[in-house]
Amino acid sequence: MELKQEIDVSTKHPHLEKKGKERYSKLYRKFIFLTLICSVVPLFLVGWGIYAYYSGFSNIRIMDYFKNQVDHHREIIELFLRERTSDLQLVILTHSPDSLQNQGNLRRIFSVMNQGHSFFTDLGLIDDEGNHLAYIGPYDLMDKNYSNTVWFKEVMTKGIYISDMFAGFRNAPHFVIAVTRIDGNRKWILRASIDTEYFRSLVEDVKMGATGEVYLSNQEGILQTTPRFSGKIMGKAPLPLEFFSEESSIGIYESDSSDPDKRFPRQLVAYTWLENPRWKLVVKQDYAEAFRDANQANRAALIFLLFSLMIILVISLIITRHMIDIIKKQDKDTDSLNKQLVQAGKLASLGELSAGVAHEINNPLAIILTESQVMRDTIDEATGLNDEVKAELIDSLSQTESQVHRCSLITQSLLKFSRRNKSQREMVNLNVFLEEVIRLMDGKAKGMGIQFVLDLEKDIPSFPSDPSLLQQVFINLINNAADAHEGKPYGTISIGTRTDSHRHGVEITVGDTGSGISPENMEKIFDPFFTTKAVGKGTGLGLSITYSTIKAVGGDISVRSTIGKGTQFNIFLPFSPPDNAHENREEVIT
Amino acid sequence: MKRPRILLVDDEVAFANNLLKLLSKRGYDVVVEYNGADAVSVVGDKEFDVIILDMKMPGMDGIATLKEIKKKAPLVEVVILTGHGSIESGIEGMQLGAFDFLMKPVRIDDLQEKVSEAYRRKLVQGERG
Repeated sequence: MELKQEIDVSTKHPHLEKKGKERYSKLYRKFIFLTLICSVVPLFLVGWGIYAYYSGFSNIRIMDYFKNQVDHHREIIELFLRERTSDLQLVILTHSPDSLQNQGNLRRIFSVMNQGHSFFTDLGLIDDEGNHLAYIGPYDLMDKNYSNTVWFKEVMTKGIYISDMFAGFRNAPHFVIAVTRIDGNRKWILRASIDTEYFRSLVEDVKMGATGEVYLSNQEGILQTTPRFSGKIMGKAPLPLEFFSEESSIGIYESDSSDPDKRFPRQLVAYTWLENPRWKLVVKQDYAEAFRDANQANRAALIFLLFSLMIILVISLIITRHMIDIIKKQDKDTDSLNKQLVQAGKLASLGELSAGVAHEINNPLAIILTESQVMRDTIDEATGLNDEVKAELIDSLSQTESQVHRCSLITQSLLKFSRRNKSQREMVNLNVFLEEVIRLMDGKAKGMGIQFVLDLEKDIPSFPSDPSLLQQVFINLINNAADAHEGKPYGTISIGTRTDSHRHGVEITVGDTGSGISPENMEKIFDPFFTTKAVGKGTGLGLSITYSTIKAVGGDISVRSTIGKGTQFNIFLPFSPPDNAHENREEVIT
Repeated sequence: MKRPRILLVDDEVAFANNLLKLLSKRGYDVVVEYNGADAVSVVGDKEFDVIILDMKMPGMDGIATLKEIKKKAPLVEVVILTGHGSIESGIEGMQLGAFDFLMKPVRIDDLQEKVSEAYRRKLVQGERG
């Protein structure tokens, strides 16, 4: 197995930690960006498409409606004018001029004509020279001659004439309808003035909201009615002539800065031409008011769009954070596994190294021992040495030999450690074995102020087992026991062995006076990767391997603990492990 | 009394020479060979009672040497010396007919005791013919 280079993947390293955080920030931003692009852009396109289509659609609808209103209204006005003209024609054709000259008759006819609504202000019969022959009305016009007036000239040529608004002799804006009758070589004219107020109210009877304005103007742009907001009858119409064409149409008028009336900067204007007289019916409304409903709908759609965007954004943030967390966790798990692999690799190499070293050391040790023994022989045979000197020399040699023995024990342990990866079945003398393990851990324990207390039942029979696996198990347990004392100045690790004849095996207890395990953690201590140690100090695999190992050899492990007082592990090992225990070991080790 | 004849086979020169000294003083006739091939050939020439054989040798290792020796002199008792790493070879050696094995570093007293036991058995075997 390859041993990776010394990689310190500890995340306690500040530089690496920062890099790690940066990496996740970048990833987070990238994810958010992509998610938003993928969701916001389509939403936008669809939203915009629908908005644009609907806007256009609704604009057209509104303008059509507007235009229809105008057309319809024109028809009403034209109908009115036609009816009034018909009224006059009926009168002049059904009554002789003589009877019309009669003031009383004329008055009666006048009142009938005005029954229901006072359409007419006055009524008069005029001869072909322009003289009033008879007159019913509020003005003093009997002595007036109209031969020079426009309307007179027009009606004499056209037979029927509707005039524009004019002041006339009465000096008040009005318009007249005049019809003629020809009797032989004489012409008679019946002329009536339309009630200006009534006419105005007729014209303005269009529901156009708060900003709507209706008026009539002639070809010269002179107002024929008084608009609601701007202008006066017979004055100049508010909108410039250039705006209008000879056709009926609808358009948008934007007033420029020179316009005195800046009340409505932008207006929807629809106009249509009456035939007779050639008047322009103009209906206009503030653009904003005209399209208010559509605009409101659009605004609502826009708000909905923005709201959706907000929701998408929030959900994206949440989901992305969640995904990043998942990635982080997976990375952490992978890191843990990698660490464990590196560790295993290190141990494997260390194992091989140990074997080589131990072997190499054994030879020099053997030589030292023989040299010492040769020296003993020499001392025995030496004649020139006194007893004191001999004794001292022998004493030193004894010391040398015992140190050699000590080295030998260390190499023994190293070699046993090195055989971890090879499945072994040996007869294991449990007590001796445990004492060896304790010896290995002695240094660490002493350094922490921990004492070992042994209670090993005498003469426990040897039984077949894998010493390297068992070593791993007990080193792990003793390590944990020692580490549990962190922060305490001293402590005890008690190790006991007892035969369990009932279950035909041996029970081993490993107890400590450490910090104990909390009830919540008790359930999890045998879980892989579970550790209460700081990051980098424990991989969390020790107890889970211990558990699997013991189970694999047919044993059992349980734990009792009190927070603050200590912990005790109870391990049972059978004297005769199950037959398949040998095969299981390979799985356990890898 | 006849001095037991020992053949000592070990590639570690200093070690072998020391053992030679020590065992000679303790009443054994010792011949030393430093490799397996030489040991096998000397077994053919001379007679030995006990052979002390180191397992880990370059060239012809302990097991191969043991096999050859047993072919040539089946009655000779072999005591195997092994480092702690090669217990397996010790066991294997015993399966091939070695008397017993000892772990290095070995105390001279332990070695001597083992050699005596081996010699005693050889004598017994020899008497049986």
